[in-house]
Amino acid sequence: MAADLELIGVTVQAGEKRLIRDVSLRVKSGEFVALLGPNGAGKTTLLRAALGLARCTGSALLNGRPVREFSGRRRAGLLAWLPQQALVTEPLEVLELVAGARYRFAETRAAALEAARQALQRAGADGFVARIASTLSGGEQQRVAIAALLAQDAPLLLLDEPANHLDPGQQIAIYRLLGELRAQGHGVLCVTHDVNLLAHIGGEVRVVGMAGGRARFESAFDAAELAAHLGELYGVPFDALAHEGRRVLLARGGP
Amino acid sequence: MNARVIVMCVLCVAAIAAAPFIGGDLGGETGAFVLTSLRIPRVLMACMVGAVLSLVGACYQTIFANPLAAPSTVGTTAGATMGAMIAVLAGGAIGGLPGGLPLVAVFAFLAALGVSLFVAALAGSGRARVNDVLLAGIAISLATGAVSAGLQFTADQMQLFAAVQWSLGHLPQVNYRGVAMIAPFVLVTLAVLLAQTRALQSLAAGEDRAHSQGVNVPKVRGIVLGVGALGVAACVAWCGPIAFVGLIVPHMVRMGVGSSRRVLLPMSVLLGAAFLTGCDTAARLVLPGRELPVGVLTAGIGAPLLVWLVARGRR
Repeated sequence: MAADLELIGVTVQAGEKRLIRDVSLRVKSGEFVALLGPNGAGKTTLLRAALGLARCTGSALLNGRPVREFSGRRRAGLLAWLPQQALVTEPLEVLELVAGARYRFAETRAAALEAARQALQRAGADGFVARIASTLSGGEQQRVAIAALLAQDAPLLLLDEPANHLDPGQQIAIYRLLGELRAQGHGVLCVTHDVNLLAHIGGEVRVVGMAGGRARFESAFDAAELAAHLGELYGVPFDALAHEGRRVLLARGGP
Repeated sequence: MNARVIVMCVLCVAAIAAAPFIGGDLGGETGAFVLTSLRIPRVLMACMVGAVLSLVGACYQTIFANPLAAPSTVGTTAGATMGAMIAVLAGGAIGGLPGGLPLVAVFAFLAALGVSLFVAALAGSGRARVNDVLLAGIAISLATGAVSAGLQFTADQMQLFAAVQWSLGHLPQVNYRGVAMIAPFVLVTLAVLLAQTRALQSLAAGEDRAHSQGVNVPKVRGIVLGVGALGVAACVAWCGPIAFVGLIVPHMVRMGVGSSRRVLLPMSVLLGAAFLTGCDTAARLVLPGRELPVGVLTAGIGAPLLVWLVARGRR
């Protein structure tokens, strides 16, 4: 199913403070957009506005219609979210938890459990199907959270630092999985701090930089000027190094 | 279904079935009357009240994401107490109600429902975060508590005695008519709340995550609080505040068979019914010649049991 998320002039205000000012962004099925920026830039708030969780002015449109006009189930059928916060605070079985993400489907319990099992397998988390989620390590919990995201089976995915808490091998595995999902037609908007992981996506990747609540640049991941953009965004110079035919972007320490 | 669930079901059903036959000789005509006209309706009442309090407790703990939430959290009990106090004071002036309805129960019910529907409406509006709702519940409990205290100050000794008796929490000696009167509230509450199981399971992974998975969080909260208040108000109006059942039974179920809402919610119904029936049976027997108010017993058993469960869970 094709889907199209369009943010036009989105501004989010929390009391006196403007968290986001006038940000526009579009993600369609089959596209991969990475959202980069220093802490407090408003990246997470932007995802929350797209979900209808943060009240905003401007437009957050899903297939041309304001997100907040959608029923919960219809929206969940188009847009899934991997939040940054920990998965659970109470002892729930992994399989139950992932099956809970099937809320939008009117289906039998057996079908929900089967879909949950498949999602766990895809996320490389089938080893702890019967474990209690709150007893898993941070990295294992993150893979279960990704399984829950996949179980929801939505065409657009909003991801908030999906490689959080994962070791380098797992980080690459997750980004390869995201690349596969994009190749299958999913649209992905992914907040990340590690720009080099984007090399594992494959194909065209757009990078949007945010700082101080504003969009600062938009660039292709391959573009030569990305290093300069990142330097400006984070306030430290970035070097583009070539390593075995791949470009590695490295923040330079010191003055 | 796993073995622990089955064992818990069997124990609960056995406890409920045995309760009417415990205590006193049931031989002869008198015995048959005691069994069918006194004890069985009372066990039915205990089952209904225990089931509602426990299920509502389990649901509130989920929507507030707070293990300390209980049926009284949104002001239901405090509202009922205020209504009962008003009824006790106004009793002489108003006289009886049509149909022989007890004045205290009707006033307690209306006040409890009014107070908690206000909190439910706030929760359902979508404007308030979960902690705001919790705070509103606590604030309204304190406010109605102040009104009750003020009313008590103006009451005479007899009125005070009546109010204190109600506030101890006891299962009244009901007949089948009483059972039939409370049954519709109980059935509606159980049916509507159990129908929210999938949404509550999704909510167990966090409010925002549930939203992204398609749950209309304010609506579910409004339904659970509103319908929960309806059932609890009906129970509290008849029985007075029966403490700790709604808080502790869901925790006992969790410790026994886990936190999955698919098991937790129905098992809270069953264990709640069995727990209050058991407490009420004990309350009948513990003092020779008179009954201990069951509310005293549930709090007396519940509080240490809660501490023990928590200490055991921490290990």
